[in-house]
Amino acid sequence: MLRPKLVAILACALGAAAAQAAKPPPAPPPPPPVAIAIHGGAGVIDPAQMTPEKAAAYRAGLAAALDAGYAILERGGSSLDAVTAAVRMLEDDPLFNAGRGAVLNQDGDAELDAAIMDGRGPHAGAVAAVRHVKNPIELARLVMERSPHVLLVGDGAEEFALEQGVVLVPRGYFRTRARMDQLEEERRAQEGHVAAPAPPGKGTVGAVALDRAGNLAAATSTGGLTNKHKGRVGDTPLIGAGTYASNDSCAVSGTGEGEYFIRQVVAYDICALVAYKHLKLADAVNEVIHEKLKASGGEGGVIALDPAGEIVMDFNSVGMFRGARDALGRRQIAMYRDEQP
Amino acid sequence: MHAIAIHGGAGAVPRASLSAEREERYRAGLAAALDAGYAVLDGGGSSLDAVIAAVRILEDDPLFNAGHGAALTRDGAAELDAAIMDGKHMRAGAVASVRHVRNPIELARHVMEKSRHVLLVGAGAEEFALEEGMSLVPNRYFRTAERLEQLESEQRGERVSDLIPPSSQGTVGAVARDGAGNLAAATSTGGMTNKRPGRVGDSPIIGAGTYAKNGVCAVSATGHGEYFIRAVAAHHVSAALEYRGLALEAAVHEMLHEVLRGMGGDGGLIAIDHAGRVVMDFSTEGMFRGARDSNGRRDIAIY
Repeated sequence: MLRPKLVAILACALGAAAAQAAKPPPAPPPPPPVAIAIHGGAGVIDPAQMTPEKAAAYRAGLAAALDAGYAILERGGSSLDAVTAAVRMLEDDPLFNAGRGAVLNQDGDAELDAAIMDGRGPHAGAVAAVRHVKNPIELARLVMERSPHVLLVGDGAEEFALEQGVVLVPRGYFRTRARMDQLEEERRAQEGHVAAPAPPGKGTVGAVALDRAGNLAAATSTGGLTNKHKGRVGDTPLIGAGTYASNDSCAVSGTGEGEYFIRQVVAYDICALVAYKHLKLADAVNEVIHEKLKASGGEGGVIALDPAGEIVMDFNSVGMFRGARDALGRRQIAMYRDEQP
Repeated sequence: MHAIAIHGGAGAVPRASLSAEREERYRAGLAAALDAGYAVLDGGGSSLDAVIAAVRILEDDPLFNAGHGAALTRDGAAELDAAIMDGKHMRAGAVASVRHVRNPIELARHVMEKSRHVLLVGAGAEEFALEEGMSLVPNRYFRTAERLEQLESEQRGERVSDLIPPSSQGTVGAVARDGAGNLAAATSTGGMTNKRPGRVGDSPIIGAGTYAKNGVCAVSATGHGEYFIRAVAAHHVSAALEYRGLALEAAVHEMLHEVLRGMGGDGGLIAIDHAGRVVMDFSTEGMFRGARDSNGRRDIAIY
């Protein structure tokens, strides 16, 4: 019930938008096409190690998540449900660094972060450093919908999960052989026993979506960095850094070196450039990812979506697992830069 | 020109109910922190050192909701959050949900300077504190009789004593510009009284409760944290200056009185721009605050 008032106030805050709102609309514009984009991490793809079988498995995982999210939009579901469904599938897929198969911290445990934001908002929920929650994105959504808070961390977040009837799982659920090997490799590298390894896992999963009602949403989930310090929290669960959505500007989910994304407030900065400097979404993403983030030494990428259904998936790393689908017939799964349309 | 501004929380502080004696103690606490921070700047020190010196004093003062005398969770424990940002190098450090660190702002600085991370939470943050050679203190160090009383009355469903600022709004912070033009911001808090364990507000979130960028501004917030997070309040102020050319005063005013009020949230902001101009504004009845600069200004105010 607060929303119309809120939208009006935000529109005032946006200056130019207020001027537009003041004019009587000539005719209701056609609804924007529903659209969804997902990512499964950036910067982690070494073409030499990517066997055809592995590549096929990643593509299949991305396709399953993309289509699950899109199916919800197509039958009139909300963008919030669509991003939750897509991220949940990527969390359950052991290939991606979130939920089961998340990277392990210095103690050999998965510590998971996730956030969701509703562009009708501003509503948001996030959790960080949870160790026994099968689908952190669902807990983030419960924080948004069933608590007065935005961010809950650690044991307190798990206490809230139990109060909400979420079943906790043992830490062993998240651990896979591949991640244990990766942790061992990283530890040896840090002790100087082997040559510098491939860049550590910077994977993260995320989704942005636009539904038939014109609402944007963003969701992101991650296990963070391999061999990270216990308690380290990256950009993913921080609203404005790794996750942001506002119907007035755009929805963004990021992946990359989280510390750089936090300092640059990457997701909100992209939306601020759209709202205040009136940049096109692609130009705003370009400025933040290829200029500001790169200049600071940060590597990574984002998926972004604006209220007109324009999808931007861009990164300054070697590759980014990603996918996009919309009502205009686009359906794309990609990993490397040269697959960019 | 060097300048510093500090806050000790915003909220309902009915003039009539704050005794003269108590008001004097608040003013003295603010003055001590303000002057300590200013002395650093005056001695040619950095804005980073100045904001830390000021916030540290407010953390140690039991009147303010940070460090010793922080508000208590529903379990009766203190859980502390803090962040610092260096506008010169765009570096930042933050800790959240720590229970045994005497001065969380100093741990935040260690995270910024000695780790490859920005944010550490809970037991992992305390493990890092030990690795850095900091000694931990028992949780009861933070607990004061006044905060316990406040928690109990809140849990009985009573209004919190008007003599104590509602700690849901208490937070301490500082922003400064040093002689070299470098900006810095620092914020520290115990969060809301009777909060759920694990709840983290805006203070330790870069861009929400704390932000600094040389050439633009430094911002520290206090208020209903969840709203400040959703509004990305501190970065919004900076973006309004950078992308829309707003003056600092207009940008802060818009955030507090239009964006946050529109959402139903209240609180306050202190901010300083590249030229050392200070803005201290709030949408609540009062905000404990102070400002001092090399042009001779020295203000302490509550209402």
